[in-house]
Amino acid sequence: MTRYVLGRLGGVVLILLAVCLFTYLIFFKLSPDPAVMICGKTCTPERIDSIRTVLGLNQPLLTQFWEFLSGIFAGRDYGSVHCSAPCLGYSFQTNESVWSMITARLPVSITVAVGAAVLWLLVGVIGGLVSAVKQGTWWDRSAMGLALGGVSVPNYVLALVLQYVLVVKLQVLPFPSAVSFVDNPAVWFESYLMPWVVLAVGYACLYARLTRSNVIDTLAENYYRTARAKGLSGALIMRRHALRPALTPITTIFGMDFAGLLGGALITETVFGLNGIGKMAADSIAKNDQPVIMAVTLLAAFFVVIGNVVVDLLYTALDPRVRVVSA
Amino acid sequence: MTLLKVQGVTKEFVTRGDGAMARKSTFTAVDDVSFEVELGETLAIVGESGSGKSTTARIAARLLEPTKGSVVFDGQDVTRASGKELATFRNNVQVVFQDPFSSLNPRYTVERIITAPLTYQGIAPANGRRAFTQELMERVGLNPDHCRRYPAQFSGGQAQRIGIARALAVNPKLVICDEAVSALDVSIQAQVLELLMRLQRESGFSYVFIAHDLAVVRQIAQRVAVMNRGRIVEVGTRDQVFGDPQDSYTKTLLAAVPRINPEWDAKRRQAR
Amino acid sequence: MSDELFVVDNLTVTLPTSRGPVDVVKNVSFTVGRDETVGIVGESGSGKSMTALAVLGLLPRGARTSGSVRLDGAELLGRSDRDLRSVRGNAISMVFQDPLSSLNPYYTVGLQIAEMYRTHRGGSRSAARKVAIEALERVHIPDAARRVDHYPHQFSGGMRQRVMIAMALCCSPSLLIADEPTTALDVTVQAQILELLAELQSTTGTGMMFITHDLAVISSIAQRVLVMQSGDPVEYGTAEQVFSDPRHEYTRMLLDAVSRIDDEVLS
Repeated sequence: MTRYVLGRLGGVVLILLAVCLFTYLIFFKLSPDPAVMICGKTCTPERIDSIRTVLGLNQPLLTQFWEFLSGIFAGRDYGSVHCSAPCLGYSFQTNESVWSMITARLPVSITVAVGAAVLWLLVGVIGGLVSAVKQGTWWDRSAMGLALGGVSVPNYVLALVLQYVLVVKLQVLPFPSAVSFVDNPAVWFESYLMPWVVLAVGYACLYARLTRSNVIDTLAENYYRTARAKGLSGALIMRRHALRPALTPITTIFGMDFAGLLGGALITETVFGLNGIGKMAADSIAKNDQPVIMAVTLLAAFFVVIGNVVVDLLYTALDPRVRVVSA
Repeated sequence: MTLLKVQGVTKEFVTRGDGAMARKSTFTAVDDVSFEVELGETLAIVGESGSGKSTTARIAARLLEPTKGSVVFDGQDVTRASGKELATFRNNVQVVFQDPFSSLNPRYTVERIITAPLTYQGIAPANGRRAFTQELMERVGLNPDHCRRYPAQFSGGQAQRIGIARALAVNPKLVICDEAVSALDVSIQAQVLELLMRLQRESGFSYVFIAHDLAVVRQIAQRVAVMNRGRIVEVGTRDQVFGDPQDSYTKTLLAAVPRINPEWDAKRRQAR
Repeated sequence: MSDELFVVDNLTVTLPTSRGPVDVVKNVSFTVGRDETVGIVGESGSGKSMTALAVLGLLPRGARTSGSVRLDGAELLGRSDRDLRSVRGNAISMVFQDPLSSLNPYYTVGLQIAEMYRTHRGGSRSAARKVAIEALERVHIPDAARRVDHYPHQFSGGMRQRVMIAMALCCSPSLLIADEPTTALDVTVQAQILELLAELQSTTGTGMMFITHDLAVISSIAQRVLVMQSGDPVEYGTAEQVFSDPRHEYTRMLLDAVSRIDDEVLS
């Protein structure tokens, strides 16, 4: 088991290195010259040269990449400025350290992701379950119809509609802002509510449909019939012989979806003006702020890859059929 | 005349073992198996699950390539045959599978299914597809008026007859039956066995008959090979293997077959 | 029959289909005595499995039943699901055809036996675990104390069916319904399982309703036989009578169709 985990982590490092290299090539070699971008309007050839030297742009490509990589682990120097590890460079726009930009915004993105995940899991799984049990009834049909509709609504549309109705017209909610929980829990909750709902709707609908079909499949399994023939109580049958088998595969999908969200909910954060990783990504792309784009891409890749490993390990723990038979 | 000669055939599969984290290992499904089939005879290969009988059949039909050993058909080594050579082989060797429904395309009509082997070989029947199909359907005991129907509109026994008709469309010299009657009810099973034997008498081709049911094998085979754990443990004429088994596994297998109380059976026959 | 443990009287099962209700079991009657095995034979679609499911109230949704099914004189038909729970697995238990899919892959076999025992008999987890080990020993699973913590996929087909039988017998039911219990197994394993069932029956005195399509199997295990064809009971009698002097045309046809393995039968 330990060997397997170590092997997987080794794989993770290789994948992240590859992602680093590709994003580096794409953003630093294929986009406009960074020195020109930083230099701005009042620019002289001498200044461009000096910027190139400071950023190391006149070095061979591999040396540049190596500098970038070692900066992450050991820090690096830009001329006289020292950037301590983990160094992801400085924003071309604000001159701020990219790492401190990320650490400042990550809590917002995590709050958005965790809140939305809790919401969609509760609504999706419970809704799907009730639909499965009441299969074919009006509840089932309307819930599944609604779910189909919900999946199809783009979340920027939903975000704008909600904002217009709840904030502008009815004025029941404040305009979202990243209030910290410690300062004012009530306002914190109110301001995050809309982003959570907007983000959760699509997933909740997807999970409801998935849960429903998984549960219905499980109810047709022979072992479910066995459980009934054994005279077990309804609650025990439901818990062990319907829910456990039906929900285990959903954990895998959830792990992947959640990891994807940690890298920032681009549209939702932007629409609600929440200063998270997603909004930072959108801003940096708009302004071609290469160090920031690069960092956001790496961060997203990091979450997805780690999420993958966690899901695999979790699955071996949850499904005995893929567990190692210890000798 | 020896039609099919399987020599020292071994098939290894690479498995990942139990669990996601197990290491790769090789599993020998068929281990140094040799047998011959004469033109016009029926050789049965019997064994329990995991004995390697189906893998052997698949290798003989060139649906799998052996790891070691050779398959010689009609004097030609076809072990690594490809292209035209393989096409000729496919023309001569046909397979009937266990589950008739999953081996017939549900979206094709019976006519299209039965003439498919001809289509692949680029042969057009002299009297036209319709007449050709109807003739074959009649031969296997199906109503020729049903040639425009789809597989789902037939019963299990009828669907298996469609599979047999498809195998016969190219006039094969060898038909490999892989558990061809196992999925059928007893009464239907008896009829299909009857049909298989009649077709052989009419056309003189050979069967390799893969089965786990020894009583069925006893009905249809002239020679029997018994497989256990990838090896042939005994091969001989039907009467040798059933009447005077030499190998201990064959003896166990024969003893395990459930029998209708012989006294009752005899009494019933007398009363008739 | 003075000692009638289990009586099925005029049982009819009606299932809803797209073409209206269909009787899949029509006026079936038979009795099972203590210690006795009654075989129910038929081809696919004969209604033999539906008969078994009707007994425990496990029919598909929308099914209707009429007639009477009595265990020790107590009527089972028409009782509520909740009410039948104390009967299922306790007084009447069932073994199914495919042991792999009939066991839950997510739990150890020990837990699956123990959960049933605790439902009907109560007691602590550790006591139920002991019962599970004993039950596995009774069906001759080697190293039962270790195997009790294994998952179904870690057993071979025959061993899995032994687990199912161990589970079915752990509450000492008075009737065991075996629905094609050996059909999915190899012939040598089938022989072992049939032997085991006979052995357990002689020690426990459980009545058995044995459902199969295989006449040869029935001949070796049943004292009485009911032959069914598309829902109709076509012949019912002692095994000797049904096999040596079948009255019904369908039974004769079935007996003629069975391939024989022994010499004297071959022409």
